[in-house]
Amino acid sequence: MDKKICTYICTGCGIGEALDIEALSGVITSEMAQECKTFANLCSPEGRAFLENEKKAEGINTFTICACSPRVMQSEFDMGDDTITVRCNLREQVVWAAGEPEEGQEEYFKEWLQETASDYARMACTRAAKTEMPEPYEMESMNKDILVMGGGIAGITAAVEASKAGSKVTIIEKTDVLGGKANGWVKQFPTSYPYAELEDNSIASMIAEVEADANITVKTSTEVARIGGAPGDFQVTLKAAGTKSEWDAPEKVGVDEQDLIDKGEMEDPNAGLKPYGEANDGADVFGAVVLATGWIPADVSEYEHLGYGSNDKVVTNAEFEAMAKNGQLDGLNRVAFVMSPGAEDNDQDFPYANSVTSMVALKQAKYVRENNEDAQAYILYQHMRTPGNMELFYKGVQMDDGIFMTKATVTGIEGGTVHAKDTLLGEDLDLDVDLVVLAAGMVPTTRDESTINLAYRQGPAFLDLDLFDGYADSHFICFPYETRRTGIYACGGVRKAMNMQETMDDATGAALKAIQSIESADRGVSVHPRSGDKTFPEFFFQRCTQCKRCTEECPFGALDDDEKGTPLPKPSRCRRCGTCMGACPERIIGFKDYNVDLIGSMIKAIEVPEDDDDKLRILIFACENDAYPALDMAGMRNHKFNHMIRFIPVRCLGSVNMAWIRDALSAGLDGAMLLGCKYGDDYQCHFVKGSEIANTRMANIGDTLSTLGLEPERVRSESVAITDYDKVSELVNDFVDEIVELGANPFKGF
Amino acid sequence: MNVQPDLDFIRYLKTAGGDTMKKCYQCATCSVVCPLSTEEHPFPRQEMIWSGWGMKDKLVTDPNVYLCHQCGDCTAYCPRGAKPGDVLGAIRAYAYSALGWPTGLAKLASSAKGLPMLIAIPSVIIFVLWAISGGMTIPGSEEFSKYGYQHFFGHWDFHWLSKNVAFIDFFMLGAAGLAVFASFKGVTTLWNSMVEREGVDSNFKPSLNQMVKEFLWPSIIEIVQHSRFKECITNRDREVGHKPLMWAFGGLFVVTVWSAFANDVLGLWVPSLHGPMSVWNPVKILANVSAVAMIVGCGILWMNRAEAEAKDNLTPTFFDWFLIWEIMAVGATGLLAEVARWAGLAAPGYILYFIHLVTVMMLFMYMPYTKFAHLIYRTTAMTFEKYRDSSFVKNPLDE
Repeated sequence: MDKKICTYICTGCGIGEALDIEALSGVITSEMAQECKTFANLCSPEGRAFLENEKKAEGINTFTICACSPRVMQSEFDMGDDTITVRCNLREQVVWAAGEPEEGQEEYFKEWLQETASDYARMACTRAAKTEMPEPYEMESMNKDILVMGGGIAGITAAVEASKAGSKVTIIEKTDVLGGKANGWVKQFPTSYPYAELEDNSIASMIAEVEADANITVKTSTEVARIGGAPGDFQVTLKAAGTKSEWDAPEKVGVDEQDLIDKGEMEDPNAGLKPYGEANDGADVFGAVVLATGWIPADVSEYEHLGYGSNDKVVTNAEFEAMAKNGQLDGLNRVAFVMSPGAEDNDQDFPYANSVTSMVALKQAKYVRENNEDAQAYILYQHMRTPGNMELFYKGVQMDDGIFMTKATVTGIEGGTVHAKDTLLGEDLDLDVDLVVLAAGMVPTTRDESTINLAYRQGPAFLDLDLFDGYADSHFICFPYETRRTGIYACGGVRKAMNMQETMDDATGAALKAIQSIESADRGVSVHPRSGDKTFPEFFFQRCTQCKRCTEECPFGALDDDEKGTPLPKPSRCRRCGTCMGACPERIIGFKDYNVDLIGSMIKAIEVPEDDDDKLRILIFACENDAYPALDMAGMRNHKFNHMIRFIPVRCLGSVNMAWIRDALSAGLDGAMLLGCKYGDDYQCHFVKGSEIANTRMANIGDTLSTLGLEPERVRSESVAITDYDKVSELVNDFVDEIVELGANPFKGF
Repeated sequence: MNVQPDLDFIRYLKTAGGDTMKKCYQCATCSVVCPLSTEEHPFPRQEMIWSGWGMKDKLVTDPNVYLCHQCGDCTAYCPRGAKPGDVLGAIRAYAYSALGWPTGLAKLASSAKGLPMLIAIPSVIIFVLWAISGGMTIPGSEEFSKYGYQHFFGHWDFHWLSKNVAFIDFFMLGAAGLAVFASFKGVTTLWNSMVEREGVDSNFKPSLNQMVKEFLWPSIIEIVQHSRFKECITNRDREVGHKPLMWAFGGLFVVTVWSAFANDVLGLWVPSLHGPMSVWNPVKILANVSAVAMIVGCGILWMNRAEAEAKDNLTPTFFDWFLIWEIMAVGATGLLAEVARWAGLAAPGYILYFIHLVTVMMLFMYMPYTKFAHLIYRTTAMTFEKYRDSSFVKNPLDE
């Protein structure tokens, strides 16, 4: 595409009054040698008509809009698929963030503001010149079918919902029947108003619906050996449940481990298995996968004072359900339900218990009562959790004459007597019962096994699930069904202990996300959080040194590799965060509109005045997801930002290549800061690992700077949440003050 | 504590106005808003879970249950609609009949099912006595205006005891005697169990004199002054009704004692004291004022209760209504019988007088088992409350 670039300065929203627009146009036309026009308010219908005319009459296809933040007026300045729009944030981050002149600085105030605006214009013009038209990645082959792993309520619902939306679905189920855990239930929680009474188990009708659906194929007694490929083209090798196969997913073997294996010092965990990268011609192909493998009952034998395993009057809730299903409740006149292990100072519930186990206790107490009208059920809880409409279910159960509840710390079970203290009854409690039921939790299948069995370079399992106690939860902001493997969506008990209705909602969401990911792969665009992004990382392989940093660091495992270690990108797995680009020491990875050279050139476009301590230049790379909006919000509230700051938005801190920091400091800029999301256990990074990786890189570059004779304090990484808009100006201004203390970069002028 | 929930007790409470008790989720709002609940002995939060758990023994011996004046503040503020006030009322209904003697009669008085029997017993007794007394006739207007109802059971010439008085004493004193004995039994049982539950050290027993002076008398003063009733916010008007009603009972007690004394003792020497009193006789004025106060007070309580029930702030129960009906019937029949006498309407007058006798006997006889029993049990609990906080029970050196 031949680019025809023009810059448009909007003089609305106070920009025209605060800045010398003529001088600013001068910078663009003379210094940057680009066309420049001004308009009173570009976002108005007149402005839009003006821009459209520019496109039609003048043939402009690259619009540099010097106006408001790129986060606002997006449709107003979207000039069509055949055009590029570059936004220059003169409003929120220059004019509105200028504040009032400080004492003694009045005469320089205008001058400084003009310099800031000019630098942003220079960067925008550079960006416009360097941005190329993105072309979506085209898959070689495309399959739109959905694989659902697990035939319980979650799997069945996902399959039915996907089918209703027009997809072809295959359900695989490990056991020989569909239905999963629900097959063992006597009754189910209420699903409709007034939510007060248990309902008959509806799993049979749900199974019948699946079996009658021509779009759904059911394979029972089947497991996944491995899943290779990428969204739109997953190569899934199935096998008979419980068998071993040479196509079972191999463990990740790192470089060091491979060394040991080669030397014979370590056993190869993957002996007898096909390498992860090998294609299986006999594999089934799917476009996306819904993981609905559910949960297994937790083990409660560790609590000796409760006597599970040694006292035959103590059973788990799962065992009690089976007893009820098999009609073995006769003779049970007094049953205690123990919701928390208790003992000394322990108000925790059983591990992996949550609201569902609370409700199961309520349900099973009802079984006791319905079996015998004179029977009594005691529920001893530390926490009674019945969220949403289930509060009505709780109320319904509460009204039963023979169900007795109290908060209590169970101190022991001896024979048929339950001892409890700290009860609401005001005294320690001894209950003589015929049976004690322990509210064992629901352990996700992903806690102990990889379950999803991926044939990916980064290994067969989801990463870092220990952060979520083994639940297949990505902690993606706003999108809980997402996993760190694009095209694979977890739902139901494997993701969180949930009741039937929650599971069905969850499964519906996961099915729709699966369809969305297939459609996005088909169009060659990204899924959440950069939904619709047409760019993807492109590699200049001739210069690749097989250092494996990109393949290791990619948070989404989007890069496989060949035997030599050269990355094999799978663009439909990619979320376009750019972490690979930030990792690459050879700077050979980039996007059409975002690459090392482009940002590097923008940095170089910043004018660096010499010998003026009032004109230091501090570069701040701000993550587009949270930090940049926080800066915008601060600007909207007219929080003052120091005039020496220059912000550059980045896709994720993970994409920040340390070359930019080095270039900036060697170009004479005085400091650099990375502003991104919180990392660690409660991370908020939209790409999961980006800010964490950037922090490690920054620690390393600090060392490098000190060898160059620069203070490591000149670079820093900070985390902010989107809600920190009230603190962010102080945070960055303080950094500027520290740099001013350090004085100008000694490299200035070299 | 080994807990054995009593399902039958729970079922009973549910029929006696406590149908909402299981809704309680133990937030303790009730104990906070209750104006009578104290920091050391808060209620009714714990009473709610005890009733939910069917722990009747804990409840029957619990002073808090009787201290409650059912003002309804807890019910008004309960976020779950568990109506603690009504639940405590139901517990009291159960407790009065559990403490009652003889058990069969106590049970009979505890539900609407027993109502026909409750009316039939005194009706039959009085009718049979009337029948065998030889009274059995409706007097002529002259006799009626001269003697009023004093020849209801006929007349004999035995100077020292008139026939009417002999008959009335026979069944009224019988009924009252039964009530007194049953009350004594009930109060003793309750007191002993409260003492036992509190773990009182029997080495420091107050004398009867101390007991009356230090604990019972101050409680009676409190009751007469209605000081606890006045704490109530939600059903503030109950005090307005209860006060005249209580004074009316006091007034009628004085009148009854005086007329018995005047008629049956002084009358032996001063014959003019026999026969109906003049309307301007101070005693008669007191009687009439008290009767009106009784009807007015009872009427106010009636209206309050009906209004609160309409607002779903109270649950209608036989236990509550029976006493209101009873007292209203006593007051109304008494007053109407008097009016009939003035009007010289002998036949309607005699019928009204008959009903009046029946209702008064019911009031006496069933007192220990019906809501009327709060008279003795609440007084007992208030006395105990003071005793509990005294240095007889609490060693001040331990504080």
